[in-house]
Order: sequence, then C-alpha cells, then structure tokens
Amino acid sequence: MRLAFEERGADYLLAIKEAHGQAAPVLLRKGDDAGTMRFDVPYQMTMILTNISRFIKEGRIAVVARRCDERAIAELVKRDLLNHDNLVVIGLACSEEQIRECRCTDPCPSSADIGHCAAPAKEDQAASSIQSMPLPDRLDYWIDQFRKCNKCFGCTLNCPVCFCDDCLLEEKTFTPEKGIPPGLAFHLIRAVHLADKCVECGECERSCPSDIPLLALRKMVNQDMKRMFNYTSGDPERRSPLLTTLEGDPMEDDGDAC
Amino acid sequence: MSEFNPNILAFCCNWCSYAGADLAGVNRLQMPPNVNVVRVMCSASVKPEYVFKAISQGIDGVLVLGCHIGDCHYLTGNHRTAKRIPLTAKILEKVGIDPRRVQLDWVSAAEGEKFQQVVTQFVDDIRSLGPNPMKEVRF
Amino acid sequence: MPVDYILTTCPYCGTGCNFFLQVADGRAVGVVPCKTDETSAGSLCIKGYNAHAFVNHSDRLTHPMIREGDQLSKATWEEALQRIASEMKRISDEHGPDAIMVLASAKCTNEENYLIQKVARAAIGTNNVDHCARLCHASTVAGLLQSFGSGAMTNTIPEFENADCILVTGSNTLEAHPLIGTRILKARDKGAKVIVVDPRDTPLSRVATISMRQESGSDVAWINGMINIIISEKLHDEEFIAARTTGFDELREIVKNYTPERVKSLTGIPEDDLVSAAKMYASADKAMIAYAMGITQHSNGTNLVRALANLAMVTGNVGRESTGVNPLRGQCNVQGACDAGALPNLYPGYQSVEDAETRSKFEHAWNRKLSEKKGMALTNAFDKALTGEVKAMLIFGENPMMSDPDIGHVERAISKLEFMAVIDIFPTETVKLADVVLPAACYAEKNGTFTATDRAVRAVRKAVDPPGDARPDWQIACDLGRLLAGDGFDFASPEQVLAEMAAVAPIYGGIDYERIEEEMVRWPCPSKDHPGTKVLHTESFKIGKGVFAPIEHTPPAEETSDEYPLILTTGRNLFQFHTGTMTRRSAKLQREAAGPYVEINTEDARRLGIIDDASVRITSRRGTITLAARVTQWIRPGTIFIPFHYAEAAANRLTNNALDPTAQIPEYKVCAARLEKA
Repeated sequence: MRLAFEERGADYLLAIKEAHGQAAPVLLRKGDDAGTMRFDVPYQMTMILTNISRFIKEGRIAVVARRCDERAIAELVKRDLLNHDNLVVIGLACSEEQIRECRCTDPCPSSADIGHCAAPAKEDQAASSIQSMPLPDRLDYWIDQFRKCNKCFGCTLNCPVCFCDDCLLEEKTFTPEKGIPPGLAFHLIRAVHLADKCVECGECERSCPSDIPLLALRKMVNQDMKRMFNYTSGDPERRSPLLTTLEGDPMEDDGDAC
Repeated sequence: MSEFNPNILAFCCNWCSYAGADLAGVNRLQMPPNVNVVRVMCSASVKPEYVFKAISQGIDGVLVLGCHIGDCHYLTGNHRTAKRIPLTAKILEKVGIDPRRVQLDWVSAAEGEKFQQVVTQFVDDIRSLGPNPMKEVRF
Repeated sequence: MPVDYILTTCPYCGTGCNFFLQVADGRAVGVVPCKTDETSAGSLCIKGYNAHAFVNHSDRLTHPMIREGDQLSKATWEEALQRIASEMKRISDEHGPDAIMVLASAKCTNEENYLIQKVARAAIGTNNVDHCARLCHASTVAGLLQSFGSGAMTNTIPEFENADCILVTGSNTLEAHPLIGTRILKARDKGAKVIVVDPRDTPLSRVATISMRQESGSDVAWINGMINIIISEKLHDEEFIAARTTGFDELREIVKNYTPERVKSLTGIPEDDLVSAAKMYASADKAMIAYAMGITQHSNGTNLVRALANLAMVTGNVGRESTGVNPLRGQCNVQGACDAGALPNLYPGYQSVEDAETRSKFEHAWNRKLSEKKGMALTNAFDKALTGEVKAMLIFGENPMMSDPDIGHVERAISKLEFMAVIDIFPTETVKLADVVLPAACYAEKNGTFTATDRAVRAVRKAVDPPGDARPDWQIACDLGRLLAGDGFDFASPEQVLAEMAAVAPIYGGIDYERIEEEMVRWPCPSKDHPGTKVLHTESFKIGKGVFAPIEHTPPAEETSDEYPLILTTGRNLFQFHTGTMTRRSAKLQREAAGPYVEINTEDARRLGIIDDASVRITSRRGTITLAARVTQWIRPGTIFIPFHYAEAAANRLTNNALDPTAQIPEYKVCAARLEKA
C-alpha cells in the first residue's frame, strides 16, 4: 500500500484481499483499510485491470502484477488498448508452487517488489507428451478433451489478451454447432488468435471447469511462433510478425484486431 | 472398396491465381474433378478461421493460391498470407491433423500450367494421406 | 469507490456457485469468478458469467400496478398492498382461508420463503403454500424421506471428484448443472467410471464410460434389472444390508423377474450394457448416483426415486464420502424454499403440519392458532381454481403460465380466479394476467441466503439498488403480513428472519449471519458450535434403518398411439433457464440459443420428410405448437425433445398434467405427440 501510494504516487491500488473468507479482488484508494492482502491466489489481474480502466476516467492505478501480467500489459499497450502512463506496476514474484502449476519459463517480474524470484520451470511435460503422440492418437486425445468443453467462454472472458468487442467465436459462421460441445474449430480459432499475444499466464486452463489442457496448447503454438518467426509475445518493443511484411515493415491491421 | 476421391477446397486470389485457373481452363488442361475453387479478392482474405472451419467439417484438403511475392495487387497482402497459412497448418498439426492438408502456393495469371501441376499434385498428396479423420467425428 | 466486487451466489441453478459481481457507477457490469470458492473453484458456466446481464434490463418492473379493466395501471405501494390485503380478507371471510393459494419461489431467499409461508400460515391461516419444487423434486423429497428419512442430497458437490463410479440418470448435467457436470468430468479424468442412462445422448454421455438410452418412462425396469444382476453376481453388500436396512427380501423377490432379456424388451437397453453397468457400479468402492428431472418428473416419480435408493443401499453406497443418492436441484434456492417450509404439508425444517406436537410448537412461536389441515399442492391448485374451491392466488416470483404442465388448463384456471396478485421482477406471462403486480428486487439487489443443492447455505449480498420503486420480497412479505395479521412481521433485516427460522427449524439451528458471512455451512447444523454436515446417514439413517421399497415397473400415464406416435420429453438447454424470464433478456445467452426448437432423430426426420431448421407443428392431446426442427443423431428414434424456455412455442402447452400420487409432481418427461410439417 505504502509502496503504491506514497513511493510511486498512484491514486488507486488493484489487489487481492481477504473478504468473507475468500480471496477477493479489490480497488483501494489511499487511506482505505486494506485488511489482509492475499498474494497466493492467481487472479488474472490484467483482465480485471482492463475491465476497471473503462470506469476510471482520471488517476493512476497501481496493480499487483506477476511477470505474465507485465507481458500482457505490454501486449495491450502496443495495441493502444491500455495507457502505460496511467499504470503503476508493483511486481509480484511467483511462488515455486505457482511456477510449477503454470510450468512457467519466465516467472520473475522486472522488479520483484513482493516475494522472491524462484527458478523457472524447464519444460511443459503435458505439452511434450502430447507432441510425442502420433498424429491419429493426438487427434483422438484432443477430441476427447474438447468434448468436455461446455462453452462457458471462461477461456476468453478471463484472458488478458483477448480483447475484441465482438468475438468471432460467438458467431454461428465459425462455430456452427448447435449447443455444446462447440467442436474443433472453436479451439483452433482461439489458438490462432492468441498466437502472437499469449503470455502463458495459464488463466484459460485454470478457469476451465473441465480441465482441458489449454495452457499446453498455448505453449505448443508459442513454440511454433518462436521457431517460425523468432517471436515471443509480451515483448514491449517488437511488433507481432503477423502484422509485418516479410521484410519486417509494419502492415496495416486488416480490420479486425484479432 | 471404391477409390478415395478427396474433397478439396482451393482459395484463389482474384488477380493472379484465379486468372491462372482460367487460363488452364481455356487451354483445356486436364484437371482433377474434385477441386472446388473459391475466388477471393486477395489470398490475405483467406483467414485461418475459414481453413479451420473447412477442416473441422471434414474437407480433405485446403489449397491457398495467391500472387507471387512482389506481384500482389494490394502490394503486401500476400506477405500476410505467407505468414499465417503456414502457422495455420502448424496449429492443425498440434491437434493431430496432418499439416500437409493445408498448402500454400503462388500462381500468376500466366501460369495455367503451374496451376494444373499444383492442383494435380495436391490432389495426389491428399489421396495418399487418406480421408480427413474429422469427417467421422461427431462432437 | 468507482468499482466494487461484491461476493454473492449465482441466481441460476442449484449448484450454488459464488462469484463477484463487478459494480461500477451503481450498476452491475460484470462477473468475476471466485478462485477460492469451494463449489465453483474459480470457474463458472456461461449463465454465471452473464448473471449481471438482465439486472439492468429496461423491462424490469419498477412500480406497482393495479388492473383496471384490460389494463394494468401504475399505482402506489400503499394502494397496491391495501388492495391485496383487502381482497385476501374478503375472500377469506367469504370462502374461508383455504380458498387462497400462496406460491412461494425458489428464486427467493430462505428468509423470504420463510416469510411467505408465514404469511400463508400465520397471517392468512392456510397451509396452502407451495412452490416450483412441486414441479421438479417433489418426488425426491417424498421418496428419499420414505427410504432414508431425509429428502435432500446425501453427499456434497466436491465429493463427485473423488468417486470411483458415477451413475448419472435423467440429468443432462453438463447443461443443466454445468459445474457439477465438470466435477464428474474431473473424476472421469482421474479414472472414475461414468455411466449415463438417458433417452438423449447428452454432452456428458458422449464422454461417459457406458451410455445407455432407455425408452422414456421405463426406468424402474433398468434399475431393478441392475439390482437383479448385482444380487445374482453376489456383488451386493450383505453386511450393510443386514445392519442398516429393512425389506431386502421383498426387494429380492421383485427384482428376480427383471432379467436382462426382459429389461431389454421394456427399455431397449442391450443386455451386455446393463450387465457391465451393474457390475461397474457394484464393484466400485465409492459409487455415487446423480439424478434430476428425468427421474422425478414422472407419474411414478416417487417410486423411481425409491428405486435408485434401493440400488444405492443394495451396494452399501450410502453414508460414506463420495457415495449416496444425489438429486440435483434445479433452482438457486429450491432446496432452501423447501427447507424454509414453502410446502403445503411441512413447516420449516421438514416438520409435519399434521403432527399436533409440532403444530403447537409453531403456534407458540408465531402466537397464532394454525390450520390442522394439510395444504394444497401447486399442481392441484389450478384444478381447484377451475372447480371454484380456490378463489385467489398470491404468487411470488413464479411463472405458472410457462412452467406448469398443460398451460391451456392453467390459463382457464386463472381466468376463474376472483383475484390474483403477482410479485415479480419482469412482466412474465403470468404477470400479464394479474390483478395487482408488485415489482420485486432481484438477487443482486438484496441480502439473504440461498441453500444450494448440497445443503450449503450461502450468502446473497446486495450489490446495487433495485430499479425504480422495486422492493425486496422479504419487505413485501413483511408489509403484507403486517396488513393481514398485525404482529409477527416486524423484521428489520433478513438477518432477523433467519434467526427466527433457526429457532424453529432445528436443521438450521446453528446457522446465523455471523457464520454465513465467513463460511459455507451445510445443514443439518443443530447448534452454533456444530460444523455442519457433509455426508448424511453416516452412522444410521434419520429413520433408523433404510427402507427398501419393492417396486414394479408401470407404464407411463400416457402411451403412444397411431394418432400420437412419438414420445415427447422436455428439459433445459445450457444457455437458457426455465421460463427464460432472465436468460432471454441476457444478450449473449439469447444469441447462443435464440428460439424454440424440437430435437428429432435423423431417421424419424427422414421418414417424415423433415430437414434441419424446417418449421414443424407438434400436437399432443392438449395443444399444438409450431417451431423449428433440429435434426440430430443424439436422440433416440421415436422420442422428441423440446426445451421449455420459449413462450412463443411453450412446450408446456403439450405436456401432460398426470400426477404422481404421492408427490403430485406432473409427468413432464413423457407425453404422446405427433409431428408434422408446418
């Protein structure tokens, strides 16, 4: 609190606190009683931040952010969806347990204001075991997984870098299935839309009620992006390769932000 | 068992590849009958979503044909295609669909013969891959 | 603060997920799942994520209205309440208090339901109070009370995840109770066997270990068949049967006749599947049964529930973690509305109105002489309105013009009433026929508690102000109570109401706001230091020994004929909820499942020349509706399915109001129908 308001001059602080025996998101002003702060529950703070920033016309918001939040914020700032000048980022280093859960290879925030940086995870076992399956088995595996989808849209609603106002996935053109599950195209479209944005925060997998290994899919696609274009999402400097020419010059967006 | 006749979708850009296809037709080049050509203004308008939808619904192969790099009517439209169609194929591979079911090539308005070759080769490739397994899948 | 997060309980199904309503500028603008919530664990279904959407809808009722001729005209609260009170008094004086029927609501809080039944019993003087539990799980309450002594879910939602085998029947769990369905998926992923028995292939049956499609209305046969196989394979739990149950020998005699061959001829289930399912269920260490309307909404619903109880007891799957018989309750507070006594035969806490000792306890508590006569069930009330025995109805938040079977019948009954008052949040089909309408606050605009299907009492917290002059139902009930009875309704807050309820209903004895603010407590919780109860019947059944019920297969009330060759069954889809009052006013939900449709099997469609999306007319002995066909292989040939959410083609114009003799629940799940091109 002191760090946010006094040292870094924020007007609001977005954090997680204890309320009604649960960990709850909270927006605080200077002088508010914060109660007990919680840093152990991985809420998707960037998503909450973008929802809040629509309603806050003036003032700077401090946000308790993990490394993945920093990278998600970079993706949003690059696309003019968030203004960095209105933000104060307070770095939260992830616990070892959290790193294990996310199989995170980049867990340490640029400034670890809270907690201590722990070692990154090496590789994603889930992704490599899926990668090692022959194609027909791999397809069977994913079909079984995707059949569990009950179209809650939790993976898009809680995604920090899923920002379109009108989502293609809600259109019958692309997901023609009536009712649930929504079929293969639904998940593939999400995969390609996130290819140049996903920061591997793992929120899609965490909020999936059916435990579909969505983070593993994200990680596999991100590896391809790295191999094909030497690109990693979350880099504040680099424009998405899908928005540049073969020579690397910026291209106009083709009309839909995704 | 009857021979497997793949069901192919070919997206052709208006300015080069569709004209190339036309030329192939005018020259009466022998062509496999199982290709459905969809004319699009630019190969860049072939969004990955369309490819995914086609493959999810059991189309055996998707061919995307555009102008050669440098010849795009919209200057850099096909640069976008050059990046995202290979990515689309990669993503399909991630979920167990053979990436060879999606192919990108460049065919100019003058390349009627190349059009014939690309299409014939693609149909042969898909025939050897067999039917798209998604055809049998009901979600 | 410009943006707040208010922890509250979802207003849709009975799972009881908690989430945060995001409030900005005094409006509910979004939903954030609660990561640490035991029930939802940071996930929600699409309805939960859109639970804020209808709150600000422009159709909300904002002021009281009184009928003048054909029109409902704006009135003051004073006028409207006085009008209701004077009509109630007049009718009670002229025809006796039993000429009045009060409908409570499973969408209202425990406190409100407590007050509504108190208005009926203590202020009007009748036990004629009921609510939509009559239409969903009345047979569960009756059946499980007889078998086990308690009519509620025996175990809890999180326990699904640790079961070894889960038998799901008559429940489209992934659509109707999404977060219970996904718990079942988690168990499956950990290696549990999942058996689904349903005439439709549901999203859950497609990932199940065994999926069996029975003919609608033939459930006793396959359940008895499974018990028969279990006994003949010696997979029954002799120790449990001997120590904790009675009536096993009679059951054994009855089920002997249900050989796999006979079951196949009655249900259409292949012999091998039945044998594997029986072995799978019986040999699991911890096996759970989950069921819903597919079991209860039959004219032999109570017997069906008892048959499932038989199956669980034969294998000793009661009274331990991750076992039991688990009715999945459909409304956010249908469990609580039953607990709070919004039932014609039971006071709060399942205490009989016909028991003199209990009655005198309540007479003492409420300082009033109470009626000795059991009240009327909702489903009988409309019959009695037609015959003139019921003259007035006071309806809190229910929409019988959509939800009750044979709507034509309901409509005729309502037109016979001398007076009908409706309290609701939207202008429903029922509101349009009312004499007085009062605007209510919705879940986001009031404090209170809901009781989830697994008996968890959960807080509902006020996030925003009600629109216009709307008021919470508990205030409305208090106002009416005061006008009708004088004293006994002076509550300043829902907290005080729950305190009174806890004092008279021992199962809630230890539950108060101080605890609910900080923890989830499951009843029975008799005292403040009691932790609440997860698993029921651990040491003994509430009635001592569990009672086996020898039950024979009986055909449904209505069978197919040449004129009506198809079996129509009804239910929900994922995106809409019940009569659509809330979900059809939520843009994203409406987009997913906009209009009415009928599911018909591919073969039947081919035979009748029907293609997907074609307009078709469906006729039963009671009515006709026109809607779009959805041709699918996911439904049994000979059976058609219509979701009951859509007023423009209301499935309940067709359904049969044949009732279960014990529970008075209607047979929504089977009616004979004809389908033709429109």
